Amino acid sequence: MSARYGMVIDLDRCTGCGACMMACAAENNVPALPKATNRTGLTPMLVRKVSNGRNGVAQREVFIPILCMHCEQHTPCVSVCPQQAVEVDRATGIVMQMPQRCLGCRYCMTACPYHARYFNWWDPAWPAGTEKSLNPGVAVRMRGVVEKCNMCHARLHAAQEKAAAAGKREIDPADYVPACVEACPTGAIRFGNLADPNDPVTQESHSPEAFRFLARLGTEPKVYYKSKEAWVRALAEAASSTEVQHG
Amino acid sequence: MFPGVDGFHWTAGHIIFLGLFFAVAATILTTVASAAWRSARDIREDRAAGLCWKSDFAELPVHDRRCRHELAGRVISRTCDNAFNCGSCGKYAQFAVLPARGDSNPSGLNYPDDRLYSRDHTWVKVEPGGTVSIGLDDFAQHVLGTPDSITLPEIGSEIELNGTAWQMKKHKQKIRVRAPIEGTVIAKGTQQDDWILKIQPRRDVKDPLTTRHLLRGPEVRGWIVREMERLQLQLQPLNTAPTLADGGTLMPNLMDSLPHADWETVLADTFLEA
Amino acid sequence: MASLTMTETHVTDSRWIARGVERISLSRFLLCLAPWFVLLVIGVYAAGLCLFYGLNQTNMDNRFAFGLWIFLDLGIIALGAGAFFTGFLVYILKRSELKPILNTAVVVGFICYSGAVSILMIDVGQPLRAWFTFWHPNTHSMLTEVTFCISCYLLVLSLEYIPILLRNRQLRKLPSFLIFEHQLHKLVPVLAAVGTLLSFFHQGSLGGLYGVLRGRPFAFRDGIFIWPSTFFLFILSAIASGPSFLMLVTATVEKVTGKRLVPPDLFRRLGLISGVLLAVYIAAKSIDTLIWMDFTSPAMGFAPWLSYMHKPFGTPILFAEIVLFGLIPAFLLTYRRTAAKRGWLLSAAAMACMGILLNRFVLTVQTLALPTLSFDEFLTYTPSWQEVASFAGVIAYGVIVYSLSYRYLPLFPAQKGDETHVSGR
Repeated sequence: MSARYGMVIDLDRCTGCGACMMACAAENNVPALPKATNRTGLTPMLVRKVSNGRNGVAQREVFIPILCMHCEQHTPCVSVCPQQAVEVDRATGIVMQMPQRCLGCRYCMTACPYHARYFNWWDPAWPAGTEKSLNPGVAVRMRGVVEKCNMCHARLHAAQEKAAAAGKREIDPADYVPACVEACPTGAIRFGNLADPNDPVTQESHSPEAFRFLARLGTEPKVYYKSKEAWVRALAEAASSTEVQHG
Repeated sequence: MFPGVDGFHWTAGHIIFLGLFFAVAATILTTVASAAWRSARDIREDRAAGLCWKSDFAELPVHDRRCRHELAGRVISRTCDNAFNCGSCGKYAQFAVLPARGDSNPSGLNYPDDRLYSRDHTWVKVEPGGTVSIGLDDFAQHVLGTPDSITLPEIGSEIELNGTAWQMKKHKQKIRVRAPIEGTVIAKGTQQDDWILKIQPRRDVKDPLTTRHLLRGPEVRGWIVREMERLQLQLQPLNTAPTLADGGTLMPNLMDSLPHADWETVLADTFLEA
Repeated sequence: MASLTMTETHVTDSRWIARGVERISLSRFLLCLAPWFVLLVIGVYAAGLCLFYGLNQTNMDNRFAFGLWIFLDLGIIALGAGAFFTGFLVYILKRSELKPILNTAVVVGFICYSGAVSILMIDVGQPLRAWFTFWHPNTHSMLTEVTFCISCYLLVLSLEYIPILLRNRQLRKLPSFLIFEHQLHKLVPVLAAVGTLLSFFHQGSLGGLYGVLRGRPFAFRDGIFIWPSTFFLFILSAIASGPSFLMLVTATVEKVTGKRLVPPDLFRRLGLISGVLLAVYIAAKSIDTLIWMDFTSPAMGFAPWLSYMHKPFGTPILFAEIVLFGLIPAFLLTYRRTAAKRGWLLSAAAMACMGILLNRFVLTVQTLALPTLSFDEFLTYTPSWQEVASFAGVIAYGVIVYSLSYRYLPLFPAQKGDETHVSGR
């Protein structure tokens, strides 16, 4: 049975601590790039701070973790890649990036409305000694290729191997949890199988407080956000951009 | 489809797209290959000389492409666009019947009437028995004087019309003399002879078409007068015009007398090199 | 200075220059090209930096993943469209009055395409993987179509360039070269037809490149069959600007050399072709813009004015694209009185080319600068010196290749013997 892995991120719980970013970088062997700026760095998971643009007591702020939304339909980055380095895995619904096939043309980056794709502008490097802490299950990416969140694919592999060793076809959902989900201290990021109607994440995604960014583009992103605040939900669509200041 | 690609699956799109692409690529490569093959065939079948001449002819300046009938004064102005191949020229007969102007003997130079002349300054003399002798005309001999060396083709070899008949060297200038007629070399001239090669023509010399392209009679004078004018203009920068035009005669052995002239251009014009 | 004097007196390349044409002395020629050589060396150095140290040498970033290079690539490929279009008009539609410009069209096309391909090779992160596209192509990608067509078309242009090259005075002395030139020249109509097909598709696909970007509502367009409308707009705009660009190149060469190289009537002819096509293009673009404003953009949740609220990409730029560099040059190029005056004609041609460049600029840069998420910022980007220098190097390469071609190859058929001098040099 094929899965459709997705997330619901409760923005009301997010404190902007950045633990998800750290966990993501550690899990996926994201190199430390001393020369990178916030426009050239590698942040497959990125927490952004957004303000409602008011002053004084009316001021509100929200932290929004942005990652690959794993678009289900018309996946913008898949159709543009000239050499099939991007694919939607039909078994999992995960948008896969294959750095070993990537030419580095960055067409997929221009295609992504969420800016969730990152280019390796530098050779990957780690401060002396820290390379010992690299995750052996994840290949490091070379300079000149694009990478992005793949929902910790190495963890999925590990779960599949474990299931196979036990003679099972299906993985135990408890064995496959992406690093950011695991790391979030407030439990704001929840991960589940959207194809399973009984999965709590699926049910949460149907809540009236849940929304997706730029849903009207028609790409069916599988990362949902959730907030009780109307102004936060209004961030979903571009038309509201005049009312909101960014932080 | 392609080795080493995991998860590659054929779709209709691939078939259409790759089919189109490879059709286009095949068309391009076939074009080049066929051009190469046809070139090889031309060279194998000795058509190279004719094709090169056609191409060289197209590069000649307009004043070097005057029609023989203009040279003879039968028409006022006409440019040849048929590579001097009067045998296949549709207008030849129409103009040939018109009266020519002027006499046949170019001033001061020796152009006997029993010979036919080619635009690249060779002559052809039909010998009894159907062979021909060919040689360098008086104008070219005045310009060159004695060449430093001459390389003649071997007896028995074939020469092609407008291909290379023989080669000469003078003052480091390489001169290629075009053949005025096609055929087999049967004899090589010595220093004493006025001819340079004897040729057994491929086609019967009694057929007028065999030698139709060669100049004769009043055409020769008109042509040589123009050639003299050209030479004079080319050597003018050296301020030697009086010696040349003196009484209309050409000084012998010009290349030795005027070593600093632009001989490369003069020789290219004289021997119709592009 | 001693060496220079020696150059003047002893070294001459007259053996390589066609007889009967007038060219400046070798030393003067080299002196004129020297600044371009310097620029080329700087460009190669900058490109080398990008290849050696990686694209961190540029100022592109994750948001501005395409920058100056893609904009200029699209620009020169559009301007280079004159090559296929002239070939199409001469060989397929038998408009032989355009023949005098054909060789220049081929050389300009060759320069534009080879330049664009070299820049693309620096622009991608892993140039050595370029062949992957041929090995496991994604046939849904516009970039695949572009890659296939451009590489094939560059091959076609090289093959069209070969006959011109082989007619050099020394090269033609080798009979096999001359025969090959002769035979290849006979088959050039086939190449022109193939070139037309390839150009049609890749000019279109370059437009489609942006039109398919569902994630960028400013660029996304509804489609006709499998192609977005920008596919057809790019073809139209490329064939509209191509003849204008050829006119500008030829006029520049005439100015520099002080010679009349083509019949004066030819410019008017090129202008007319350019003007009519430009008018058609502007009409199509206006309709396309209206459809986008009224249907496409709102349907995706983006009010069209959102795309024009960030300076400097306001509506004036749209106005400039459609009226200033569209309707006005189209009028000037086609109206009998203005087209009869060389000054007006050339200015209009320059405006037409500017308009096309502006269009490519807007589509590449504005698309990426505009925010998509509501809390995104409008970003700007300034190219690094390495980006500018690499591209300047390509322009220098173009100038050098064209100058060498002009000096040693028979680019203009009228050059022999009867060149008319416009003024003293």
